[in-house]
Amino acid sequence: MPIAGKSLSALLWLPALLGAADAQWILEQSTLTYHISHPLHQVDGASHAAKGKGACHEGQCDFLVAVPVKSFNSGDSNRDLHMIQVTRGAEFPMVTVRFRVPESAAKQTTLNVDLDVEFAGQTAHYKQVPFQPAIRGNEAGISGAIPTKMTDFKITPPSLLAIPTKDEMPIRVEMTWRRM
Amino acid sequence: MLPVKSALLCLLLSVGLYGQAGSLSGVVAGPAGTPAANAKVSAKNRATGQSFDTQTGSDGKYNFADLPPGEYEITASAPDIGEKTSAATVAAGGGQTLDLTLTPPGAPSLRDLGFTPDQLKSNPQEQVRLDKRTHMLKTHQKLGLITTGPLIATLITSARAGGRNSTSSGRELHAILGGSTAALYFTTASFAIFAPKIPGTPTRGPIRIHKALAWVHGTGMVLTPILGAMAYEQRNRGEKVHGLASLHGGVAAVTGIAYGAALLSVTIKF
Repeated sequence: MPIAGKSLSALLWLPALLGAADAQWILEQSTLTYHISHPLHQVDGASHAAKGKGACHEGQCDFLVAVPVKSFNSGDSNRDLHMIQVTRGAEFPMVTVRFRVPESAAKQTTLNVDLDVEFAGQTAHYKQVPFQPAIRGNEAGISGAIPTKMTDFKITPPSLLAIPTKDEMPIRVEMTWRRM
Repeated sequence: MLPVKSALLCLLLSVGLYGQAGSLSGVVAGPAGTPAANAKVSAKNRATGQSFDTQTGSDGKYNFADLPPGEYEITASAPDIGEKTSAATVAAGGGQTLDLTLTPPGAPSLRDLGFTPDQLKSNPQEQVRLDKRTHMLKTHQKLGLITTGPLIATLITSARAGGRNSTSSGRELHAILGGSTAALYFTTASFAIFAPKIPGTPTRGPIRIHKALAWVHGTGMVLTPILGAMAYEQRNRGEKVHGLASLHGGVAAVTGIAYGAALLSVTIKF
């Protein structure tokens, strides 16, 4: 499909996605990937275990996405256990992301979303995080990155061989939502 | 008399700590992150069911100054703004912080997503095990790096301990360094061996190589000093090193290589 056609389809579809009265959305599939940078390693840990739901009412859509901390796999079980420990994943087993998308956002091809991320027993707010929507029939794909830092959640950056990782821990988000 | 006084003092202090309350404070915010004034905050003790209530100030801050130690379910709510429930553990004499962001009415909750209760349940005991495990493995890492020093020095001094150029002082220096390496090595190993295991976590990734190599250098670290002691005795008797003792150098080399490879297996990504 030509780009103009795609854009038109997205613009026609998004108001239905975001503004439909009492519409419900279910997270069909997702990949959430955190990235950690260390002088000796670049680590990516991914999870496909997120669940999510969206509820629209009076022109506002409230979304909730949650993922178990233990479900992230970096390819090394020892590292994953260290991550669960530093992020207090046994005490606070879920990462949750909440966002509210107003009806007016439907006119944009890039969604700038305010996010509440609850992680390690702390809540951090991220303003105007850009996400790219992609429309495929009755499904909505959304991708983007949340610019999280470990210190936003009072997490001490883990260390390898006494060298700590960088504070930045962006989370790459790829989600497919299905309208119910 | 002094020991009796000290014992009494210890007893009084421990009784005082046992009965000591903890505090819990934080900020309640609305969905947009702005402070929620006059929100009701309640703390319910999960063991006793006892409930405590307070209210946020104009800045959204709340504070429970005297909570009995234990696990609590914390619920914050404000009319027309939303509600939020979370968990907190209050320790005796400790100050815990918990910020809460209210969820708008009608918005999905965690219960709506279909996770099992086990997935949502907080497990402070497992967190304690994880903390202890990490602490012990960090010590394992640090001691492992420190051990590299005398290990390399032992390998370097081997030239003066065996062969044609060997001297009595060279053998003694090599033996002292080898003994120090072995002592540090087994201390290092004990921190990994006795670190708490976390059930339900299958080993995967480079750590498998690290563990497999540990069997090689672990066996080598037991055999090398024994063979070394045999070789040392033979040389001191003026004999040429023979029999099993002649394997000392080879076993030591394999041990050193396996040790280095184990270190690299957790350092280099592949």
